[in-house]
Amino acid sequence: MIETELIARLKQKDRAAFKEIVDTWQDMVYNTALGILQNVEDAEDVTQEVFIQVFESVTSFKEESKFSTWIYRITISKAMDHIRKKKRKKRFAFIQSLYGKNDQPVIDPPDFFHPGISIENKENAAVLFKAMNQLPPNQKAAFTLNKVEGLSYIEIGEIMKLSVSAVDALLHRAKGNLKKILKVYYTTVNGK
Amino acid sequence: MKDENIHKKIEEVMQSIDNISKASPRPFLFTRLEARMQREKNIWEKLSSFVARPVVAFACICLVIMINAMVILSANTSENSLVQQNSESATVDEYSQVTTTLYDFENVRP
Repeated sequence: MIETELIARLKQKDRAAFKEIVDTWQDMVYNTALGILQNVEDAEDVTQEVFIQVFESVTSFKEESKFSTWIYRITISKAMDHIRKKKRKKRFAFIQSLYGKNDQPVIDPPDFFHPGISIENKENAAVLFKAMNQLPPNQKAAFTLNKVEGLSYIEIGEIMKLSVSAVDALLHRAKGNLKKILKVYYTTVNGK
Repeated sequence: MKDENIHKKIEEVMQSIDNISKASPRPFLFTRLEARMQREKNIWEKLSSFVARPVVAFACICLVIMINAMVILSANTSENSLVQQNSESATVDEYSQVTTTLYDFENVRP
């Protein structure tokens, strides 16, 4: 079915059209969310939230950009919101633990192993994903879209509403920061 | 680890996700999604049906009317007391009435 026809039918809340949209874009949404959130359950949760948002606000989609670009934007915004919410919860749990109201200790998440990574690269990729968590949100989003989703600078620019040169600069900074973080990591690992 | 070994390791790590394959969600995502949407819809439906119940609606209207009445009455009272205060001070100014206290009587100079 043609994309525009599918969108028109979704605007009329057609269930079959919605199912086709979910089937077509679920891998793209899930993979992006997983790259940013680095947690299988959170990625699935955000994927569902994204499609609910798509269903509810498709009438506001003006078709000025590609439908996939619009879905990518919702995914990134939902994933970033999820991270913020999780951080807030973690901070609250920590404060509660200080006052003895919460006996459960605040545990850092274990290393993330992406299911799409080959076995020989698993350890190195886990270190890289951990380092990615220390990047500022826009650098992390751009790096994920480029490396995990394999998008070009033009596509990333359309999603993040940036020029190609701005995306280039953003990715350059992201890579530089990652190298700095990794250098500190390996220096301290050796120092121990 | 020497510096050059660290650099080599960093390059290896940076390239570790170059050939990443796409991950897929668990099967039947659409079914789970529909169930979630139904659940969320049910919450709103329950809330709207609760608000629409005659007893709740009547109680809400009464509460709004009561709050309005209280605000109007309190505004009127404060307005009246202000007007009264103003007229009293105007009379005092006009007739030079000064309230005498026991202290004034005791300290009258001969």
